Amino acid sequence: MDNMGVFLQIIFWGLYAGCIYILLATGLNLIFGVMKTVNFAHGEFLMLGAYITATIFFLTGINPYLIILLSMLALIGIGAVVERFCFRPILGTGKLNEIFLSIGLIYIFQNGAAMIWTDEWQSVKSPYDGITIPVGSLFVPLDYILIMVFTAAILCGLYLFLNRTTIGMQMRATSQNRKGAMLVGINVERIDIISFGMGCSLAAAAGTLWIVSGQIFNPYMGSIPAIKAFAIIILGGLGSIPGAIIGGLLMGLAENGAAFLLGGIWKDAISFVILIIVLVVRPTGLFGEKGE
Amino acid sequence: MHFKQDAMRKYGIIAILAIAIAIPFLTDSMFILNLLVLMLIFIIFASAWNLLAYSGQGSLGHAAFFGIGAYASTLIAVKSGITPFVTIFFGAAVAAFIGILIGLTCVRLKEWFLAMVTFGFAIIVQTLTVSVLAPVTGGWDGIASARLLSPSIPGYQIIEYFAVLAITIASIVAIWYIMKSRIGLAFLAIRENELEAQAAGIDPVRYRLLAFAISAYLAGVAGALQIHHIGYLTPELYGVDNSFWPVTYVILGGLGTLAGPVIGTIVLTIIWEGLKATGLTFGRYVIVGAMLILAIIFLPRGLVSLPEQVQEWVKRRKRKEPLPEPAGD
Repeated sequence: MDNMGVFLQIIFWGLYAGCIYILLATGLNLIFGVMKTVNFAHGEFLMLGAYITATIFFLTGINPYLIILLSMLALIGIGAVVERFCFRPILGTGKLNEIFLSIGLIYIFQNGAAMIWTDEWQSVKSPYDGITIPVGSLFVPLDYILIMVFTAAILCGLYLFLNRTTIGMQMRATSQNRKGAMLVGINVERIDIISFGMGCSLAAAAGTLWIVSGQIFNPYMGSIPAIKAFAIIILGGLGSIPGAIIGGLLMGLAENGAAFLLGGIWKDAISFVILIIVLVVRPTGLFGEKGE
Repeated sequence: MHFKQDAMRKYGIIAILAIAIAIPFLTDSMFILNLLVLMLIFIIFASAWNLLAYSGQGSLGHAAFFGIGAYASTLIAVKSGITPFVTIFFGAAVAAFIGILIGLTCVRLKEWFLAMVTFGFAIIVQTLTVSVLAPVTGGWDGIASARLLSPSIPGYQIIEYFAVLAITIASIVAIWYIMKSRIGLAFLAIRENELEAQAAGIDPVRYRLLAFAISAYLAGVAGALQIHHIGYLTPELYGVDNSFWPVTYVILGGLGTLAGPVIGTIVLTIIWEGLKATGLTFGRYVIVGAMLILAIIFLPRGLVSLPEQVQEWVKRRKRKEPLPEPAGD
């Protein structure tokens, strides 16, 4: 009984952490799919999203779950600016350049945020703090369930957007074949901006959900989750959104299982251990075909 | 033109060397001397990273080698009592050995897969240091390290400075020699086109591992030097900052060139300390980040290429000038 309880708890934590990773990894995949670009600074958008939500919450006291939309909108804008002025000029000049550029962005965003909001740890109190719902033998915080619901809703929204709207279909076309998309008259540069902005807004959603559930945050919070999200999309296949979802859940579970078995210190390292083992066996990732 | 550039380069090197040798006699500020020692150490570190990038492998986890060199050298020095001047090279050998192991997992990886894995290794090494290895390494608290020279020796800081300067010059000469040799050519060939390199009889795996080993060795030397200079080490050594700094220095100075890491480190250190004097804390990083991005976009070959770039701009200007101008004005 007790063992079962612990087991269930680990699964629940895993699912909860997995939601954050899914949102991050899906955003990265969206960007990678369309632009074939990697942005190591993706976690900084999570951090910005979290801070925007927190700031609005502290100022107005609105339910933070509602602020998520504002935060996502703001990050679409910030993402668009970053794409236009940082990534577009170096598009096609080599992948190493994108990595180096991301380092510059990390410096700017982390320390810019520290200048605005200080580098102290902060926290946001959810209006549903303390409310738990019995699931089997377990009492699960309502916030955790809300986060899963929100993640599912956002992913459904994204699915509908990609499949039902013109822009969504243009994005898919561009990611399938950039030249072909140009030939049929799609403005691929516009699609780049939109995809980058949307990817960033997914990161903002992840950041908002992360802090609303009571996690403390500071300007450096984004790096590690983002790097894990990279591990996930490498494992799940570059550009594959289902891969990101499954990979995100597995990563959440593996990490919390490892933290329980080996001690909390291993929580961060274990994702890299998994990544390295997988890459040694399959240098292109679990489901990847081409060595991009 | 070439002749002129060669001469310029020669005078540049002589000038930098002369300044480096003269500085300790011009200032008696311990602060400046300390800063210069740290700068020299980072020149070695950045050059080490640059050599790996020269073979087409961009690492984001060089702090791992920096830290391993520091820990290994410290432990050997503390346990055996041998002078740090010797243990540095043993510590670096440990870093090189780990470098080969990490390289083995990376030989088939490219670009950001490699960046991810190296980044991950730095985190794994840090985790090991504070968990399994904590009884030896002191965990998060760190341990005291042996000093290069005892502070009781008169003028020890100047001696230390010249010792570090000598090691830095030796490292750069070694890298220059490697870049010029067939090994360097092989690195270049692999970086430009692995398949063609293979067709030309170059074994990419062997040379990539070699690049990893040499780069990790030099990074280990830098790490050990820094820790023996400061006298204390903590796992913060494996932090992201230490992985990113060499990248920043090299990109700003000029990727894949011998002078790039040197110029990048010197210029950035001066800017960094200058900004510190203005009282900026986080702002310094924002400015460095912006400089990095601007350099990548507008000066992709770094500060080293600045004279050439300026010439190019001037030429373009001149070409534009003879265009017919409306008479009368």
